[in-house]
Amino acid sequence: MSLEIVVCVKQVPASTRVRLNAATNTIIREGIEMMLNPFDAYALEAALRIKTSMGGRVTVISMGIPSAAEILRFALGLGADRAVLLSDKRFAGADTLATAYSLAAAVRKLGTWDLIFCGRQAVDGDTAQVGPSLAQKLGIPHLTAVSRLEFLSPQRILCEKMTDEGYQEVAMELPALLTVVKEINTPRFLSLEGYLETLGAVVEIWGADDLDLDPSRIGYDGSATWVMSTAAAERCKNGKEIDGSPQEVAAKILETLTQQGWQSLTSEDRHE
Amino acid sequence: MRLQIVTQKDEILPYLRDESNWTGSAEGISFPQSEDEIREALLFHAQRHTPITVQGARTGITGGAVPHGGQVINLSRCNRALGMAWDEGKQRFLLTVQPGMLFSQVQKGLADKAFNTEGWSRESLKVYRRFCSEGGWSFTADITETSASIGGMVSTNASGAKSYLYGPMRAHVEGVRVLLADGRALALRRGEQFARAGNFRLRLEDDTYIEGKLPTYRMPAVKNASGYYIKPDMDLLDLFIGSEGTLGIVAEITLALSKTPARAWGLLAFFSETKRALQYVQALKLLGGAQKPAAIEYFDRACLDMIRREQMEAHSHKGLPLLPAAEGVYVEFHQPAQVDVDARALQMRVMLQNAGADPAETWLAVTPQDLEKLISFRHAVPESINRIIAERKREDPTLTKLGTDMAVPDDRLDWVLRLYTESLDKLGLEGLKFGHIGDNHLHVNILPTDGQDYLRGKALFQEWARQIINAGGTVSAEHGIGKLKIAQLSEMYGARAIAEMRALKRCFDPLGALNPGTMFTVEENA
Repeated sequence: MSLEIVVCVKQVPASTRVRLNAATNTIIREGIEMMLNPFDAYALEAALRIKTSMGGRVTVISMGIPSAAEILRFALGLGADRAVLLSDKRFAGADTLATAYSLAAAVRKLGTWDLIFCGRQAVDGDTAQVGPSLAQKLGIPHLTAVSRLEFLSPQRILCEKMTDEGYQEVAMELPALLTVVKEINTPRFLSLEGYLETLGAVVEIWGADDLDLDPSRIGYDGSATWVMSTAAAERCKNGKEIDGSPQEVAAKILETLTQQGWQSLTSEDRHE
Repeated sequence: MRLQIVTQKDEILPYLRDESNWTGSAEGISFPQSEDEIREALLFHAQRHTPITVQGARTGITGGAVPHGGQVINLSRCNRALGMAWDEGKQRFLLTVQPGMLFSQVQKGLADKAFNTEGWSRESLKVYRRFCSEGGWSFTADITETSASIGGMVSTNASGAKSYLYGPMRAHVEGVRVLLADGRALALRRGEQFARAGNFRLRLEDDTYIEGKLPTYRMPAVKNASGYYIKPDMDLLDLFIGSEGTLGIVAEITLALSKTPARAWGLLAFFSETKRALQYVQALKLLGGAQKPAAIEYFDRACLDMIRREQMEAHSHKGLPLLPAAEGVYVEFHQPAQVDVDARALQMRVMLQNAGADPAETWLAVTPQDLEKLISFRHAVPESINRIIAERKREDPTLTKLGTDMAVPDDRLDWVLRLYTESLDKLGLEGLKFGHIGDNHLHVNILPTDGQDYLRGKALFQEWARQIINAGGTVSAEHGIGKLKIAQLSEMYGARAIAEMRALKRCFDPLGALNPGTMFTVEENA
């Protein structure tokens, strides 16, 4: 049996130095170096490995500006079979709810699916909400922070989920949505052949009119949350330079820390 | 003097060695922070006839920074950027730094456009504002050890993988300020003072002159960092680059910057046999002009096996997929636009297929993130070797890494690879070959398991040096002579050349005060 796998990917700024749109407080994505969200690379790799071992088809899907087609082409070069970009001015400024709603409409349009992969979170927004929200809209179970995955049967998987305390083992039926952490695998490199194959590759572009959706629930206007203000973290510049030999420097650091109320740990404290 | 000289033994101890793992001796050490303080230290020691060893970041591996008695002048606190200028003729920025500034600090300052401009002149600040408002500018000198100091890089004419396209440090230095052992200063700018037919007359800042004859040896036509850089009508700035601190202390360096290429991308291809890897390398070397690669690097099967073993056993090298059992050739291209990348990629497919490699199994890095992964793989090779040696050293403290730095002319690459492989096999020594194959400059590292291995490896290196000199090569292409390769330098150029080099040094440093025991043995009468 062959699995239909969908991977949701996002194009994010390659640098932490970004400009914000003063009106919407969202990141200006035009004209800056962009990359595939690092966590999504693990999601794609997980999908490609299943395709190799179990057989199946991998569709990558993204919502973004036209240049986001770049990362989709990259995914095709890595081995994905189909790429869809939701790109329409009406999708712009979407929060996680409106994004998940739009993605759900796109996934439904794809027809059947067994497994959907997302990265744990995008490194620009850092919300980690779109994956779970998408699963909810599709009415399928989901598991976040998956670090290991094996198939118990063609329709049943066993996952290891990372938690603050350790791991949880969770068995679930497909269809399901998983968000993955970087512990799950090591993404492959694009091959030269893969790259050349993508030079003429087609990325399908879907607009709002191509999907069965309620236009009032997409984009900025369809969002339930708006960013009221965004500010760059203030850099704390009261660093102090200490000069001298390593011994002198160490002694001065200790002295300064002690003055500021730091207490050295006794061996007893450490055992607490 | 105002400058403090540290004399406590335990505080001097860390400064008695460098990455060569050789340990020397010194009576004291000072850490000047400015040219004035360097001069102060020089004059203080000159009055007492104390020999001086100059240190940067002590990352050298031939012992150049290891003191030979006397005093150490450590430049690690001379680590500021001093200003920026615009070179109208060549349409580029020039950055002036103190010698102790680290390569990594310069790179970070350029990438983030964030230099500490305290104390910069108004003119410098004006140029700096323009630099900040423009696109990316790079310092394209390239070394593997990014914690090296700029002064150290000048001193050894350092180079690395991308020197294949951009040249060694020499190509990036536009000017230096040098302090001589007697405290006199000279400022050299490229294109200003030249030797004539092997004679030179160099104007110092106090309007005195130093005159002399240049050595008469001919440098081999290969990448080279052995002995002084000598050409009969040379720019005298070049005399100080690669002079390993034996002529004077470089107190200030002006670096030429170049526009960051729009696209940098790399390919790691895998080969089942050396013959095929070499065929690919030879094809890459035919790419010239705008097609010339930035770097061509080679890794033998032992290198890939070593890293793969660490990937499987120690789960290290995270982010790097499991390496295959093969030989690897890494090539990097720097290009102005995306369309050029696509055209070149098509060309590379044909070249790989011709050499019997599979383009579907060739790793391509077109994003900065993936490129970083391939570059860190390149850096991981020597680091892993050092780790293995450190482990073996715990068992037998006398063991150290044996590493070569020899380069040969283009038509001898085949021959030298065979020479390395056959002699290592014959002696049953564990060796790894990797490095700058584009410049016919491979590092062979022998990993001795016991003292006997070590001695056999050392003897083998001498034998290789002899054969490579005969083949028109060099004993050191980028690390310099330091204190470890003095005998090899002598073998390479002969006694007469060494005497001429010593005579040249005496022109600038009559008492032999600077870096005694570096490049030549200490003169009995000095």
